[in-house]
Amino acid sequence: MPVDEHPNKAAFLQRVREALGRSEPLLHMPDHPTLKSALPRQEEKVRTVRARVEVSRARNIKRLAETATEASWYVHGPVAAEDAADVVAEIATGLRAKRVVRSSEDVFRRVNVDGALRRSGISATVLASGRSRDRSTLKALAFEADLGITGVTYAIAETGTCVVTPRKGVARLTSLAPPAYIALVEADQVLGSMDDYFALTRLAHQKSRGRVPTYVNFISGPSRTADIEQTLTIGVHGPGVVHMVLIA
Amino acid sequence: MAKVKSAAFKKASARAVRDEGIQHALTHVMDHFTEARAEAIATDYSDESWEAMRTRAAAIKAHTIGNLDYYLDLADRSVRRNGGHVHFADDAAAATQIVIDIAKRHGVKRAIKSKSMVSEEMGLNDALERAGIEPVETDLGEYIIQLAGETPFHIIAPAMHKTRGEVSDLFHDWLKSAPTSDIARLCSIARDALRKHFETAEMGITGANFVIAETGTVVIVTNEGNGRMTTSTPRVHVAIAGMEKLLPAIEDLPLFLRLLPRSATGQRTTSYTSFISGPRAASDEDGPEEFHLIFVDNGRLNLLKDEVLREALSCIRCGACLNHCPVYRKVGGHAYGWVYSGPIGAVVTGPMTGMKQAADLPYASTLCGACRDVCPVKIDLPKLLLHLRHRHAEGSPRDERTGTWMERLYMRRWHDAVKTRGALERSTRLGRLLQKPLVRRGKLRSLPLPLVSGWTKDRDFPALAPKPFRQIWKEGLGGDSDAG
Repeated sequence: MPVDEHPNKAAFLQRVREALGRSEPLLHMPDHPTLKSALPRQEEKVRTVRARVEVSRARNIKRLAETATEASWYVHGPVAAEDAADVVAEIATGLRAKRVVRSSEDVFRRVNVDGALRRSGISATVLASGRSRDRSTLKALAFEADLGITGVTYAIAETGTCVVTPRKGVARLTSLAPPAYIALVEADQVLGSMDDYFALTRLAHQKSRGRVPTYVNFISGPSRTADIEQTLTIGVHGPGVVHMVLIA
Repeated sequence: MAKVKSAAFKKASARAVRDEGIQHALTHVMDHFTEARAEAIATDYSDESWEAMRTRAAAIKAHTIGNLDYYLDLADRSVRRNGGHVHFADDAAAATQIVIDIAKRHGVKRAIKSKSMVSEEMGLNDALERAGIEPVETDLGEYIIQLAGETPFHIIAPAMHKTRGEVSDLFHDWLKSAPTSDIARLCSIARDALRKHFETAEMGITGANFVIAETGTVVIVTNEGNGRMTTSTPRVHVAIAGMEKLLPAIEDLPLFLRLLPRSATGQRTTSYTSFISGPRAASDEDGPEEFHLIFVDNGRLNLLKDEVLREALSCIRCGACLNHCPVYRKVGGHAYGWVYSGPIGAVVTGPMTGMKQAADLPYASTLCGACRDVCPVKIDLPKLLLHLRHRHAEGSPRDERTGTWMERLYMRRWHDAVKTRGALERSTRLGRLLQKPLVRRGKLRSLPLPLVSGWTKDRDFPALAPKPFRQIWKEGLGGDSDAG
């Protein structure tokens, strides 16, 4: 259902228009390359991006490990999928984590994190609604946890970034509220640059007739601040310790 | 709107120059910023490619501002398609009222805030308090200055003038924490205090670094994670954006996400970049149920109307022009008297809040051009400052004019004296004659004329050379030169 237009909109836009020396709205979309790229052209662009990502996968993964390390991630792997769960369990044990929350998504079918954690005596709670959990219970669980684990939608080699999109099974708070966080990154999720990512997302927008994810999050290292005497301090509001597990 | 004290610029800057604490902070922090920026750029880019990026970003912003009515309309339709509400506020009072109305409708007692310069313009915190709503700043620097009851000292480092001792005292007074000189400990005191608010606050208020017109997406860039908290935990999210914050489409963003963090903090990227497009979907596990975006004018129209000053609306608030400005580096942020400081503050404060009260600000510059050279969107700040000076001297409307009749008289005489070669030669001959009784060792110790006598209060004025360069050149440079 469409939301009403604000009563001041027309007058506001008219004043902007007049300040720009026009009295009428533009008849056509202004000429701007990123706005003009229609679906077929964007599809072609994305084919090029995918091909480039495919051939440079090994290089991108290597670069991701470098940039992520520079951004203060602890980077693990690449490891085989069957070994990844043990890596996660080792990290959790090293952190002395007791209350672990995780998202519910595909990667956990390939990587049996729950099993490996259980063998280390840690049980993970799935932070997803459904099992009679309301909003405030989810929030409380996230705030009380000492480790959060999620998969990612993409990772970006240019900046050491994990892209996390909230969706069914993935709460916003899993990667944010606990003091430590583990991101599971699979090889085919690694992109070269931000340009690659935004080309892909724009195509997705166009294909779904303008439907966009409600929230996308770039995570590029631990929460940090330098607001007191320009002294770098980590772990202000978000996790101070972040691990990236690369899965081959 | 936040009070404008720019009329006191001269007094406030004189006070800042004598303040040892401020001078100490400026000396240390400014070099840290400029060095980090230079290193971050050099690590990934050649001078040529960085220059090309700045040129491209300037063109994209100029295009967007030049078609702002179109992009505002597009953004409005996109946000509403996503299920969000869009508001258009002419001034600070209107924007503030919109926020208060939303809060009242939801019975909000406490609102958490992520850093927003527009909300500083609005004086939003004071207004919320008066309306019985407790605002809590969640950016560490903003939280510190909120406790101290101050305005930001710097666009991106609002509390840079506070020492750890002062922060410890503030936390002791307000949070009853034990005094400490450990900065990590101070951060964790703030973390604990603010986490309670994150868990319970009903409304989150943020700014917007960028708004993407095509998708209706608000982009927020932070390092602490407070922006994510503010947009994740409360039931209602209100984003406030200056109307110039738009970019046409999502693929315009990577360029700006490369320019902004490097220019601001010298980082390749910030820890978090959040893209918010409306309220939570039915399939989301958490997130706000209601989303509002407020586009604010609040004097920006006065910049837009002036074809020269319009360029200032391209600003992405990185703070690099402050860090490189020899004036800001001496007087700091508070002297400028409102919300924005440094060269960009000197440009926008007058047009946005009233020309006359900010008349000194365009002169708070040596016109050295460092700001223009580092600006990620290539705003020609010296040109804009000169344009403002021109408006003050000769501009219309007439009531913008500042300066005295005597100043104007001098300027007219000066103009007559130098406008042709003949006039220049005649006036220098006359000058040489008139200066004779005052010259001591090639310098004028004082200029005994009203208004200009101030020039020689603390320094000598170079006297006219006995023989003009033209003549020395004609006689051959090796000739009997006594030119000093």
